[in-house]
Amino acid sequence: MGGELGSLVASLLEAEAWVGQLCGIDVDPPRRRLRKAEFHRIEPSDRERIVDVVTAFDPHVLIHLAVWEPHARAGTNHARQFTDQATTSIVGAAAECRSLESIVVRSGIEIYGRRKQSLTRPDESVAAHPTSDFGQMVQRVEAVAGAAGARVGVAVGSLRLAPVLGPHVPSPLGRLLRQPAVPFSVLADPPFTVVEDADAARAFVAAAQRRLDRPVNVVAPGAITGLQALLRGRRLPLPMIGPEWALTRRLSHVLGAPIPDHVLELMHRGRLADGSLALEALGVTPLVSTAAVIDRLYAWPSVVRVPKAIKAVA
Amino acid sequence: MAQLIELPRRPAAAVAATTESLIITGAVDEWGRDAHLNKILSPLLRLRWDVSVGGLQHLPARAGALLVTNERRLSLSPLYVSWALARATNRPVRFVGRPDSAPLGAALRRFGALLSDPDEVRGALRHGELVVMAARATSHPRHAGPVDHELIGAAITTGVAVIPVASMSSVMGRAARAEVGAAIRPRRKRRGPLADLEVAEAVQRHLQKMLDELGGVHTGMAPIDWLAEG
Repeated sequence: MGGELGSLVASLLEAEAWVGQLCGIDVDPPRRRLRKAEFHRIEPSDRERIVDVVTAFDPHVLIHLAVWEPHARAGTNHARQFTDQATTSIVGAAAECRSLESIVVRSGIEIYGRRKQSLTRPDESVAAHPTSDFGQMVQRVEAVAGAAGARVGVAVGSLRLAPVLGPHVPSPLGRLLRQPAVPFSVLADPPFTVVEDADAARAFVAAAQRRLDRPVNVVAPGAITGLQALLRGRRLPLPMIGPEWALTRRLSHVLGAPIPDHVLELMHRGRLADGSLALEALGVTPLVSTAAVIDRLYAWPSVVRVPKAIKAVA
Repeated sequence: MAQLIELPRRPAAAVAATTESLIITGAVDEWGRDAHLNKILSPLLRLRWDVSVGGLQHLPARAGALLVTNERRLSLSPLYVSWALARATNRPVRFVGRPDSAPLGAALRRFGALLSDPDEVRGALRHGELVVMAARATSHPRHAGPVDHELIGAAITTGVAVIPVASMSSVMGRAARAEVGAAIRPRRKRRGPLADLEVAEAVQRHLQKMLDELGGVHTGMAPIDWLAEG
């Protein structure tokens, strides 16, 4: 509930008539004003407190969004550790609750992987073969939730999100694309898709309301290539062939926009997914197209420095 | 007294509109096909092939269909057939057979190419796409090779029509032809994978019949036949 997506989901849930009480746990405080929700600031490693809070609340629906994308808010190792800890504690605690009916977890289309001969637009029936750290992380989240759900007999749904972009969402892809000069794979320049944070949040609310019990891809309509994206933002394209990517990654890290392996994979091999099931399974589908999300990414104002007002001295 | 204040507008829409018109290619579709690039490069393809298209009434108006065409070795018939049909029907037509490597596979994807994988083809057909696949390439321009039954199976399990498209082109000249035939109707209803094999064989037979009907010189020597078609 402390991250941008969590806060957004919580604020949408507050407006839903079917939602009674709302309780959230995160390591950061909520980023929006929440009127109904009860918030607990707990570290993901503090399993005992998490279990106490969750079991005392005894939820009907658990929405698990505590997935740290590598280099979004934490480095890859920390992201993996926090995600594992949060998943084990929160899903484990929810499984102890007698009222629990449904678990909805955040996953990503990185779960399909981009190995050779992998499908251009995998749908939910395609087996997961993650080829990046983040893909493996979300696969584990799905596995843990699935195992818990099967054990206690509750529905488990997972929303496989395309890379989430939004005005305040920490995203390594968004950060990379907003650099003044952006590297892209000149030989491949593959297409990828994204999803806006508001669309992702609506999908979570719908999944919770419908007690989703299957994985569903949530991707914005349309696709874009790296070169097209950075040209839309009027960034300087840096064509890359292959070996120089290693140097570029290091340089980009130093400049404040680390490129984790799943973003590098996206720039080299693309990342698309078939999102047509969303309408049937959730009743909602992302409204903002990939090109529009990218345009909005570049339309966000940069840091605005307001000069101090100089008092006139008489 | 209320005062009307004009708030600064977010530049997103304006930026999008401007860039849309200025950038060469703004976005690609959900399979990576670049409609704008196709439009730009269309005159170049027209320099190589002048394709006359027939039998368009056999194509479904909105639903997907698997179109099977014959291929003479190195004739690139799936490419020019899909390009010609896309122009004639004004809807994207994809073709099977891109390698999963850069830069060739990446370039072909911009033209609408798909991997030669039954799941990939099934996905496209399920979304109402027209997909062109080639029978096995032959050395003779009027011979239809065997058809991959696994790709046919993708169409059968999706419930879309399988349609033969006889294609002919010349090594030397620009003249080419793409004749769309009627959808294949299997003689027997099968529940299992036998249907794939039987439909694949029926498509090959239909293609061969269509190629025979198209006529042409049959000297028995392929190079002379090709020259005669120029």
